[in-house]
Amino acid sequence: MEYLVHIAVMACLYVILATSFNLLIGFAGLFALSHAAFYAFGAYTTAILSTQAGVPFPIPLLLGVVLTAGVGAIVALPALRIGGHYLVIVTLALQVIVLQVLINGGEFTGGPDGIAGIEKISLFGWRLSSPHTFLPMAIFGAVVCTAIAWRIARSPFGRALKAMRENEAAAQAIGKNIVLMKVIVFAFSAGLAAVAGSLLARYISYVGVDSFSIEETIYILAMVILGGTGNLWGSVVGAIILVLLPELLKFLALPPDIADKMRQVIYGLILIGILLVRPQGILGEHSTAPALARRARKDAHADEEIGTVNGTEPGEVTVSARGLAKSFGGIVAVRNFDIDLRAGTITGLIGPNGAGKTTAFNMLTGFLQPNAGTIELRGRSLVGLKPHQIVREGVARSFQDLKLFTKMTVIENVLVALPDQSGDSITSVFFRPGTVRREEEENFNRAVEILEFVNLADKAHELAENLSYAEEKLLVIARLLATGAEVLLFDEPLSGLDPATLEEIFPIVRRLARSGKTICIIEHNLDVIRGLCDVAVYLDEGHALATGTPDELVSDPELARRYFG
Amino acid sequence: MDLFLQLLLNGFVNGSHYALLGVGFGLIFGTTNIVHFAYGPVYAAGAYSAWTAAALLGFPLFLAGLTGVAAATVLGVASYLLLYRPFVRRDAPTFVVLIASLGLFILLENLIAILFGTDKKVVDGYSAGIHFIGPTFYTDIHIYQIASLMILGLALAAFLRLTNYGKAIQAMTDNADMARVIGIDTNKVSILVFAIGSAISAVPAVLILLRDGALPNMGFIAVFVAFLAVVVGGVGSILGAVLGGFLLGMVENVGMWQIPTEWQSTIAFIVLFFVLLVRPQGLFKGT
Amino acid sequence: MRRFLGLTFCAISFAAMAVGPARAAEGETFKIGALLGMTGASSYYGTVMSRGAQIAIDEINADGGIDGTKLELLIEDHKGGNAQAGVAGMNRLINIHDIKAVLTSFSPPTLAVAPIATEKKIFMINGGGFSAKMIGASPYLFHNRSLATDFTRGILLRAKEHGFEKMAMISVKTDAGENVREIAHQFWPELGGAIVADESVAYGAANMDTQIAKLRTSGADFIFAAIFRPDAGTFLKRSKEFGITVPRLGIEYTPDDQKLAGEAAAGFEFTTDYFHPTDDNPWAQAFYGKYKELFNEEPDYYAANYYEGVYVIAELVRRAFEAGIDNPDGAQLTELLWKEPTFKSVYGGDMVFQENGVAQKRVGLFEVQADSEKKFLKFIETTVPGK
Repeated sequence: MEYLVHIAVMACLYVILATSFNLLIGFAGLFALSHAAFYAFGAYTTAILSTQAGVPFPIPLLLGVVLTAGVGAIVALPALRIGGHYLVIVTLALQVIVLQVLINGGEFTGGPDGIAGIEKISLFGWRLSSPHTFLPMAIFGAVVCTAIAWRIARSPFGRALKAMRENEAAAQAIGKNIVLMKVIVFAFSAGLAAVAGSLLARYISYVGVDSFSIEETIYILAMVILGGTGNLWGSVVGAIILVLLPELLKFLALPPDIADKMRQVIYGLILIGILLVRPQGILGEHSTAPALARRARKDAHADEEIGTVNGTEPGEVTVSARGLAKSFGGIVAVRNFDIDLRAGTITGLIGPNGAGKTTAFNMLTGFLQPNAGTIELRGRSLVGLKPHQIVREGVARSFQDLKLFTKMTVIENVLVALPDQSGDSITSVFFRPGTVRREEEENFNRAVEILEFVNLADKAHELAENLSYAEEKLLVIARLLATGAEVLLFDEPLSGLDPATLEEIFPIVRRLARSGKTICIIEHNLDVIRGLCDVAVYLDEGHALATGTPDELVSDPELARRYFG
Repeated sequence: MDLFLQLLLNGFVNGSHYALLGVGFGLIFGTTNIVHFAYGPVYAAGAYSAWTAAALLGFPLFLAGLTGVAAATVLGVASYLLLYRPFVRRDAPTFVVLIASLGLFILLENLIAILFGTDKKVVDGYSAGIHFIGPTFYTDIHIYQIASLMILGLALAAFLRLTNYGKAIQAMTDNADMARVIGIDTNKVSILVFAIGSAISAVPAVLILLRDGALPNMGFIAVFVAFLAVVVGGVGSILGAVLGGFLLGMVENVGMWQIPTEWQSTIAFIVLFFVLLVRPQGLFKGT
Repeated sequence: MRRFLGLTFCAISFAAMAVGPARAAEGETFKIGALLGMTGASSYYGTVMSRGAQIAIDEINADGGIDGTKLELLIEDHKGGNAQAGVAGMNRLINIHDIKAVLTSFSPPTLAVAPIATEKKIFMINGGGFSAKMIGASPYLFHNRSLATDFTRGILLRAKEHGFEKMAMISVKTDAGENVREIAHQFWPELGGAIVADESVAYGAANMDTQIAKLRTSGADFIFAAIFRPDAGTFLKRSKEFGITVPRLGIEYTPDDQKLAGEAAAGFEFTTDYFHPTDDNPWAQAFYGKYKELFNEEPDYYAANYYEGVYVIAELVRRAFEAGIDNPDGAQLTELLWKEPTFKSVYGGDMVFQENGVAQKRVGLFEVQADSEKKFLKFIETTVPGK
């Protein structure tokens, strides 16, 4: 039944397109609507190389993948700067430009006529000229491409992608290089789409621009959304449904002159109907952790106390900033700010709203570059480093608005923040799978330990968005702890908590300090400062007015007047 | 020089058309955050209803135009109530709503083709007056296109500034959650913006019916251009949508002064691409 | 999830079931497939082409079919040029309906299905696609419409006859428009003319004002519009409004264009397949009458070509039956065609399929009158005298 086989071939191609698109949309959260352009690049590369230079399979396919991956990496550049609707428009623009170049490309691209007579694939003297003979090839392509997408999605790299999707700043704050991640995911997504394009060109021996229009991108998008973003099986299901549906509708007997339009009407209705029943898509997103939970064995002995920093003298200065200054368009946020943070010491940063506390944190962690001043960690300058580099150096921070990865489980929030994961490197994901797997197991155990440390272990497989407020705050601490940084900067970690909860959290923070961490917290509540901090720094109008024990500062009448106004 | 002046005028006229499309779409999009793809076929339905009134029922042109506006309004509100509201209630992600809207787009466009056929619908007996300033030509329709933008744009601006409903719309555009907190019925406001936005879309639709005739697929370009104008100008800003529309119109026309017209449909996108790279938040909106 | 897998499963079984009986039913009827653009921007063409073909089928069946064998038309939608949709439709026609003869349209899907036609021996006849690139795509592919070359040469020879020199050209960015443009760029200089403007417009363009403004200031003796429905009507209307006074020549003028352009089309000269039902051609008049009666619209030459295409296939099937072939395939139909490549044409007289598969028809030159009706001027010889 060649017709059914043909539909199966098309389903395979769309499975490739939908899963690769899902990597970009569902995992990385990058709504780049130029997927059909990548598809076209793969198809046209094969068409041109095959008809004009007679290059045999599989060289055009491979060249097409490499070329398209390169184009994908370039498209990632706008995505570095913009997101949301703007990325949608920019990438739609790119799609239109690519199509127009193909139409206006004259003999080279065949213009509006397209390119016909593309040589079929010949393997071992066997010509894949019919749907039957091509189907194994299409299935093979779909399996390989889906496997690649799957490997990425389920790896630590895929987890980091989801973290980036949930919150870019927080992903940077746990040491992820989001620039590199975006470029890589675009390249992979584009490269995989090119495989589908190349196979299409070989299969129907013809390429034309009408096959790669904006409607095509939207069609693939519909598959991803319908199946469920962030779930590759969902894309497979979505692709199969949307390929089959129009074909099934053809079996409806309708008056011939309006039949195809009626079918489109029904198609629209069914699309709406499915989404109404399952707005999140047919298959929901799943966590990468449960599989680990089954595999990981609990180590008999935890090798060290959580948070232990080796080779640190208590009281030793770790972070030292001098003369920091930052202004925004003439408004001075911080000026001539000096601070020393010491190992084993909890430093409180207090001051009225707008005093420049968060700006100071942003400079210490690379989210803002100071206009002047120096920041050193044990003598090494941190100025000019990117946030993710500073985390790796050993200075990590939390955010006042938490910025948890809400659509990920509690344990994933911690897992993704663990340092030095070889699975963060795409080459290790593919070429050192054994190492990655071993590390994953170790990391899982480590994450469980950290959750136990903050008393969240029983919530490990809850989605972060389902936590209570107090639990969210604990998870923030756990995630920050997971980065392994020795200097932990907390931006209002305790605000909004009731006294009973505070009493639960205080010991955790104290234990961290005892084990050698350098801790600095921004806090408004003077009781918290007095109960927790060893040293307090009073910041006002961007300047450190006073430094001393909390009691000294509180008893200073001048500061009290300023603070309580 | 004659050519340049003519292109400048064309750009202004086309820009007005795009701007008005953008205003209607932007009002809906900015306020409800729904990417109302089906704005296209609603716009087409406005043109077809006006055609039905004029050609089949023999209404005078102005009345036929009002029929188009009324039909688009009803269809726009219906699409919100029947399609989008269930999604809004369940807090579905923007892109799920977009795909559902696409479903509605396919449904309506084909329904129009079934009901009215695929041939071009033209209002017989209307021919636009032709005028010229020096060597530069324009027609009555061109004047209507500019005038409708000015009248509807100003009326909308006044409505948003001066009435309570208008202020509610603005509040919801700024922050829907906050609007709900201060007691604004966001459901009612959504119905209102769908009504106004769809009504506005019918005006350029009727003018295009008179100028070029109506085809079932006329909505695709309309919603595409509207979306572009809104994003270029900055989502949530009516003035931005107007300026975005003018920018598109100008680039498409004046941009072709020295460039071959085979790049016409591309040049706007090339400009867009770079504009958004430099100003990701849209051209005419503060950060 | 389970529910959706279930749904998919049901769907597949449904497909398999539906496939079964369809095959069993063959035998008493000869099925003709049609690959047309039934949805999307080009659905107008699909509509008129399918109507033309269906009228022919009904006529033949009313006369008792071909020696008692009835004809059946099965339409597949290629969405106006989408290659994958064309291939899917072709596979359906072949596999589910076991079709051996297909009416095809549009160059991209025709090029995409041509290899399948060759492999499966499917006879194809195209009456709408225009691009010369289709020639030779399959040995079983024929055209009962003159292709771009003839019309272009025809109208440019007319321009030469007028004594024009400077041509301003506007073409639509489709396979057809681009083909005409290429041919014109080669042929007009050969005739000693110059090209002073070369504008391009997207299919179904929302805005043609820019191009028309550029044409107006180009200083040309005439404008050559390689533009088809619905843009031809837009061009005629807008060019008049923008005060273009030089003669306009083109290659298409359908009733749809006429509706929009109205009086603004007056003076437009165009070459096209000479389909002229008011002529003393009873067959064309009968077709014209039937079409008008059924659909309350005038048939254009697209409708006529697909009407005629069905008759070509029917004639070949009749020949096959005569030769004792009960269920002829495309190769046999092709062989029977080459035995006697002359067929009766609804355009009047006979048409003869040339070696390249094109049934050269007489190219008619028409002029649009003040009342927007077209008037036949004369036939145009499309070969250059002395070449």
